[in-house]
Amino acid sequence: MLASASSAAVASSSFLPRPKPKPHLLKRLASALTPPSPLSPSTGADADADQDPTPLFLRPPAHPVPAPCLAAFRRRAAALVPPSAPHLHRHLRWLLADAAHDPDADPALLRAPLGDLEALWLRHVRDRRPFQYVVGNEHWRDLVVAVREGVLIPRPETEAVVEMVGRVEGFEAGWWADLGTGSGAIAVAVARMLGPEGRVFATDVSEVAIEVARLNVQRYEMQDKVQIRHGSWFEPLEDLKGKLMGVISNPPYIPTDDLPGLQPEVGWHEPKLALDGGKDGLDHLLHLCEGLSSVLKPGGFFVFETNGNKQSEFLVDFLSTKWDSSFHDVEAVLDFADIKRFVTGYRR
Amino acid sequence: MAGALLRIARCYSPLSSPTPRLPPLLRRRASPPLRFLSVSSSSPPPAASAASSDDGRKGEYGRRGWDDHLGMSDDELMGQCDMGTFKASGPGGQHRNKRESAVRLRHRPTGIIAQAVEDRSQHKNRASALSRLRTLIALKVRKPINLEEYTPPVELLQILPLKSTIRGKDVGPQIGPNNSKFAPGMQALLDLLFAVEGSVSEAAKLLGLSTGAVSRLILSDDSLRTAANELRAAKVILVQISDCTCLCSLTRAWHTAQHIQKLKYQASGIPSITYHVTQSLIQSSLCEH
Repeated sequence: MLASASSAAVASSSFLPRPKPKPHLLKRLASALTPPSPLSPSTGADADADQDPTPLFLRPPAHPVPAPCLAAFRRRAAALVPPSAPHLHRHLRWLLADAAHDPDADPALLRAPLGDLEALWLRHVRDRRPFQYVVGNEHWRDLVVAVREGVLIPRPETEAVVEMVGRVEGFEAGWWADLGTGSGAIAVAVARMLGPEGRVFATDVSEVAIEVARLNVQRYEMQDKVQIRHGSWFEPLEDLKGKLMGVISNPPYIPTDDLPGLQPEVGWHEPKLALDGGKDGLDHLLHLCEGLSSVLKPGGFFVFETNGNKQSEFLVDFLSTKWDSSFHDVEAVLDFADIKRFVTGYRR
Repeated sequence: MAGALLRIARCYSPLSSPTPRLPPLLRRRASPPLRFLSVSSSSPPPAASAASSDDGRKGEYGRRGWDDHLGMSDDELMGQCDMGTFKASGPGGQHRNKRESAVRLRHRPTGIIAQAVEDRSQHKNRASALSRLRTLIALKVRKPINLEEYTPPVELLQILPLKSTIRGKDVGPQIGPNNSKFAPGMQALLDLLFAVEGSVSEAAKLLGLSTGAVSRLILSDDSLRTAANELRAAKVILVQISDCTCLCSLTRAWHTAQHIQKLKYQASGIPSITYHVTQSLIQSSLCEH
C-alpha cells in the first residue's frame, strides 16, 4: 500500500517542481545510516523541533503543505527505514495520521512545519527516540493517552490491570488509588468505568507526570472522578487511610543492573525514575506491599504489575507468609505472553 | 430417518484447513476432493449435541440444535477463542517499547482464525479481529434448514430490502454490509441458499423478493458474493430415501460421516455442522442406488 502511494506520488510530483531539500536535512540523512549510539545526543536543530510541550497530535493544524511536498517527505522518510525495521513504515503512516489534519488533502494541514516533522522522524529512526514521544501519544486500550519525555509510555501489558479492576465486586462505587500514575492512563481508564460515587486518587512524585496526567484527565473529562496528588506513593493519601476499595500500581520494577541492557527506546529515553526498581527491582513493590494494609479497607483489592515470573512468585510468597493475617487470595496473574506479570489479592 | 432428504453437495470446503484427518479407509483413493454432506433434518444427529456441549453452552445457545455463535455477545464469543498476540520473546512490560498490537483469535468450536494488525492499540485490533471472526463464521459455518417449515429469522429479515413481502413493518430499516448486525443475516441467507442448492430464484420466493433483488443483496457485499457463488457452483445431488437398498447405503454413509465427524471433532474441534466426505464414499453409496 505504501509502495503504491509513493509511486502515485512520484507520478504527481513529476509535474511540479520538487521542493529543494534543505541542506542541513541532507546532512542528517547521511548520518541516519550510521548506527545509533547513546553518545550521539540530540543537539541543536534536533531539539529545536520539540520545544513546544504540547503533544504534536494536539497542536493546531496550522501549516499548509502542498500534497507533492508531503509525498516527497513520505518518500524520503520511507527511504530511511532500514530493512531490519519494517515496523517503522507503520510508524511513518501513523506519524502522518497524527501530524496532519487530513494527510490526503491538498494542501495538507500539518500540526508542525514540514522541516520539524523531518527532524522528528530522524530522531525516531536514528536516535531511537520512542515513536510515542514523537507524536506525543500512545494508543492504549480505547484511549489516546498523551505522553512526553519524563513520563513512562503506558505498556500494552498494563491494559489488563483495568479489566482486573472491573471484575472486583462493587468496584463502580469505590475509591481507588493509582500509585505512580505517570501519564494517568490507568487512572483515566478506571475512572471511565466508575459510577457517580467512584473516585480515583492518582499520585506521582514526578512533576512532569502530574502535568501530563492532568492533561489526560482533562482530555477525557474525568476531573470529577480523578484527583491527582503530588507525592511519593502513599504519602499524599494520609486522609484516605482505611477508605480505599483498591490500590493499583505499575511501579518501577527493573533491577538496576538490567538498565544498561534495555532497548534503546526505553533505556535512552524513558525516565529512570519510572523504571529503576533498585537492586532486585523490588524496592518500590515491597514498599507498596507494606503500605497496603493501612490504606485498604477490609475486603479491599490490590493489583501490582511486576517484572515477571520471579518477582511475582516472590511477592505472592511474601504476602501470603509474612502478611498472611492481612491478605487472602494472593495470586500471580499472567499477561498475554503468559508471563506472571501481576500480583493481585484482597485485604482481610 | 426415512423420508428425510440427504443432500450431498460438492463444495470448496471452507473448513478444509486445517486439513481434516480422514480415516484410513477413505484415504486410499488418490486425492479425493473434499465434500460437504449435510442433513436437512429438523433434529440434529446425536453427535452434534456432544459437540456443542464442549463449551457448556448447549442449553443456552443450542436452542436450535446448533450453536448460535453470532448471537453471542462479544465477551461470550471471546470466551470461546484462544487469543494469540504474536508473542514477544523476552521480559516484556517496562523493558520493551513495541506495540504488541497484532491480535490473532482462534475460535475453538469451529477452528476459524481471525486476525487484525492494522490498528495502533491492541484493544482496537481485538475488536476488529472479533468482528472479522463474526463475518467468517457467517460465511463458513452452515446450519441445516428445514425448508418445509422455513420462516426466515429476524436477522435475515433485517438485511432484506424494504420491498420484501415477508418483511413486517416492525423489522425496522434495512441493515447494510457495514453494520455489525449484517453478519448474522448473511449467515441465515447463506444457510437458505445452501438449503435451496444455490438457487437464487428459490431463495427469492421464500424471501418474498424478486430474483433480481436477492442478487443485488448478494452483490452488495464482496465476501457474501464470493460465498454465494461457491454455493451456487456446488454440484448438488439429491437423494430421496425411498427404498431399503438406498437406505442401507445411505445409512452406511451416515455412519461413516458421523465417524469422520467424531474424528474431526476430536482432532480439531470443528463442529458437527459440516461433514467432510470423500468422493469414493459418495460414489459407492450412489452406485448401489
